[in-house]
Amino acid sequence: MQQAVGGIEAGATGPGSTPMLYCSGLRKRYGERLAVDGVSFSIAAQECYGLLGPNGAGKTTTISMLCGLTLRDEGQITVDGHEAGTLEAKRAVGYVPQDLALYPDLSATENLTFFGQLYGLSGKELEGRIRETLELVGLADRGKDRIGTYSGGMKRRANMAAGLLHRPKLLVLDEPTVGVDPQSRNAILETVGALGIAVLYTTHYMEEAAKLCDRIGIIDDGKLVAEGTADGLISAHGGRDKVHLECDAASLDELAAACSALDNVHDVREIDGHLELTTDHGPAVLPAVVAVAAKHNVELTGVEVRSPNLEDVFLSLTGKELRD
Amino acid sequence: MIRVIALNELRRRLRDRSVLIGCIAAPLLMSAVLGLSFAGASSTTALRIGVSGASSQLLASAERASQLPHGITVVTLSSEQAVKTAVTNGDLAGGVAVRADQLRLHSLLVPVVDPGASTTPGFDVVTRGTSQLGQEYAESVAAGMASVLYAGRVPHGADPTAVAITTLSVGKPGGKVDLNFFAPNIAVVFLFIGSGLGMRSLLMERSAGTLSRLTAAPLRASQIVFGKLLAVFVTGLATIFVIWAVTTFAFGADWGDPLGVLLMAVGATMAMCGLGVFLTSLAKTEQQAFGITLLIGLFLALLGGNLLPSGSLLDFFQVLALGTPNGWALVGFGRLDQLGEPASSIVGPFIVLLVIAVVTGGLAMIRVRRMVEP
Repeated sequence: MQQAVGGIEAGATGPGSTPMLYCSGLRKRYGERLAVDGVSFSIAAQECYGLLGPNGAGKTTTISMLCGLTLRDEGQITVDGHEAGTLEAKRAVGYVPQDLALYPDLSATENLTFFGQLYGLSGKELEGRIRETLELVGLADRGKDRIGTYSGGMKRRANMAAGLLHRPKLLVLDEPTVGVDPQSRNAILETVGALGIAVLYTTHYMEEAAKLCDRIGIIDDGKLVAEGTADGLISAHGGRDKVHLECDAASLDELAAACSALDNVHDVREIDGHLELTTDHGPAVLPAVVAVAAKHNVELTGVEVRSPNLEDVFLSLTGKELRD
Repeated sequence: MIRVIALNELRRRLRDRSVLIGCIAAPLLMSAVLGLSFAGASSTTALRIGVSGASSQLLASAERASQLPHGITVVTLSSEQAVKTAVTNGDLAGGVAVRADQLRLHSLLVPVVDPGASTTPGFDVVTRGTSQLGQEYAESVAAGMASVLYAGRVPHGADPTAVAITTLSVGKPGGKVDLNFFAPNIAVVFLFIGSGLGMRSLLMERSAGTLSRLTAAPLRASQIVFGKLLAVFVTGLATIFVIWAVTTFAFGADWGDPLGVLLMAVGATMAMCGLGVFLTSLAKTEQQAFGITLLIGLFLALLGGNLLPSGSLLDFFQVLALGTPNGWALVGFGRLDQLGEPASSIVGPFIVLLVIAVVTGGLAMIRVRRMVEP
């Protein structure tokens, strides 16, 4: 466990020692609805933290509070040791909102010039940063074109460039790949992965969170229900491997009885004309399953081993599926 | 940072041409329409007030007493009918008819300008439709005569009955009106529309998503709002200057002392900006802001005398007109262009406009955090 600013246990386990972001007991209410309910987490310098949850779970409200966009009702937030919402904290944050936050009538360079000036950049330094950032997001050759002429993926990358321009210590990305083509999505993920700064990445795509993030917080109905590495979460909450077997319908019962007797097979169920075996390690039990089928003269027409993933973790923790 | 935000706002408005349309094209067009409509009636030197039934001594004394601005000519006509005909035809801007029996007044005491009075001893002020200036100057001449008569009767122990000056409207509404009066009038309307709608930009940024990035930047909420206000102030001034320049150089209008006009333009623009940001602070969406601005704008234009001369409104509303920024702007511009007074004469209206700007802007600033919340 790491010690957060203010002497409060932060709970960050990623690389680095001092939390770049520390949130504790965040609450935000809109009328009768509690959008964020006691959320606490921290992010170390250079750590990529994923906030995974469905739409409406409270991800955007949480980052709105830590970026100083929305006042919190309760809780504590510090960014690089500064109270969230102060000018010092804002300087440390690069915010990339979910929706495009650029002026379509201006070029990428004009947009970046304006937003760079807001962070105190000017002259040659600003020009250099703009050039460098456009190269980073792969838009160096389109800098003079108006944003309105960009494709959806290019707009997203330009959106990210505006958040990176002032070299923030903490980059906050709110669902940056929603509605983006696979090529731009990969480009965004590669860019984020190579940054080497603290990143808060909200998404409802579990593959992105698993691939990109050092640690993941699972949020639902405004509450952080679990937190840890992807492997740790899957190990703790994802359940066991599943082996799906397809065969002649007349042989299902015989195969089910034979598989039930195997070591390390904890459960056998018939689901929609298939058999589903629950085991600790699917690949390890597979040879025994094939052998048993051969022994009973059952022809396997399909075999699939499925390991648990974050979707299963979410289902296990909330009783719901991660959904759009 | 305020300057950076303002420059970005102006750049974007130039890029989408809204500045060109709102600050140059529309004022140019309106100035041209005004100029072509009212050309030839653009100077107070053209205003003539006719009087019938008064002696030359009384008339001369009345002219002095009423302190008419230079260029207002008072002419004598033979009869009340001649006055009415000349006013109806537009040969006179207004007139005063004094019937013979009313000259034998024994009880002149207080000269009261009371357009609403019905049957009273005194004078008939003859006016034509919308010739507001003619009416006002004719009333001044009538009041001047009444005061001269009153002064002459006091030593003899007058009967305390008031003299009423009744207004008699002749002819059909319409006719030529003074360009000097209407050019600043229209400029103030443009100013209000421009300021009110200009501040909608903040709400448009919210719906476009860029407000979140501005709010996330190391800026105070007030800097964002003041940046927007500065851009609106610049475009507002540009609008009024375009109308001033076009009506002056192309159509010969005389707005009065340039320093005074400059001060009034700055004061009026600041007041309208204050009001604009206040109205914007009440709205959550740009559609709401548009509706509120339109509604309040029409109400203020009506009340302040931009649509109808304030003198034609009920007394109660004439008092309320002085609670409007456009009303005070018209008072200031009126002193410069109608009365030919120097720049020093508009210090009062200028200060009132500044106070309106500070009060309305201050009220908006109370809600500044909410204004910039995405």
